[in-house]
Amino acid sequence: MTKAIDVDVERDRDLTVPPESYFLPATDVYETEEALVLLAEMPGVAPDGLDVTVEDTVLVIRGDPATAADDEGDVLLKEFEVGPFYRAFQLPADYDTENIEASLGQGVLTLRLPKSERLKPRRIEVKAE
Amino acid sequence: MAIRAWVPSAEPFAQLQREMNRLFDSVFGKHFASGRLRSAYVYPATNVRETADAYIVTCEVPGLAMDDLEVYVARDQLTLSGVREDGIPQEGATLHRRERDSGRFSRAINLPGPVQGDATEAALTHGVLTVRIPKAEEAKPKRVQVEVQQ
Repeated sequence: MTKAIDVDVERDRDLTVPPESYFLPATDVYETEEALVLLAEMPGVAPDGLDVTVEDTVLVIRGDPATAADDEGDVLLKEFEVGPFYRAFQLPADYDTENIEASLGQGVLTLRLPKSERLKPRRIEVKAE
Repeated sequence: MAIRAWVPSAEPFAQLQREMNRLFDSVFGKHFASGRLRSAYVYPATNVRETADAYIVTCEVPGLAMDDLEVYVARDQLTLSGVREDGIPQEGATLHRRERDSGRFSRAINLPGPVQGDATEAALTHGVLTVRIPKAEEAKPKRVQVEVQQ
């Protein structure tokens, strides 16, 4: 019996390099007074298959679907393929990349980047003469 | 028998783009065209497979919980409907990028043969819905053991 060659995936995987073939997750981005929020659709991806990295001002998200390739039986209709998701975003400066909050629920990644104090709107006191 | 997706005539450009993508992929290979945005022109994007005793339907429904989804089987038709919420606050949010769709949806999928609708099982994992619909007994392939007389 021949065994598949073991590849140390964790070690060989450089996250800043995109996989050979990948899908771009559909993403919404909105801004509030407090933060920038990204919502990225990555159906089939479980939390342990997700990687989010920030290097300087480049945010990279990558997700590998947990769902096994559905190859049971004969294909009658095929509208989507299962494969890795990958996308890189250039972030504006002045975001607090140390305190990014990430959560993944039902295949949607939510990333919340708090604004640095300098970017938050503030009220300027006007003194009466 | 293959199931054909119904293409709404109001979206000829989406279909044209799909056709172009497919042509591009077939000429240059998938790697060249990597990094495609999943733009389903019908929602949800659905795969259907057939085994000896069931039809297996998988749909990409990221962001939906089981409570947001209605799954019905009537005769040999599967119907999926629900509402997609975008999760973006109504007030105090400035949109920079909008690629996800939201709103009410409904889709019907005709299965090629009779099924046992009341034995349908559905599971939702990480935004992928899997519906398993057993075939009706009369539609399953029969295997009869034949005694061979010496």
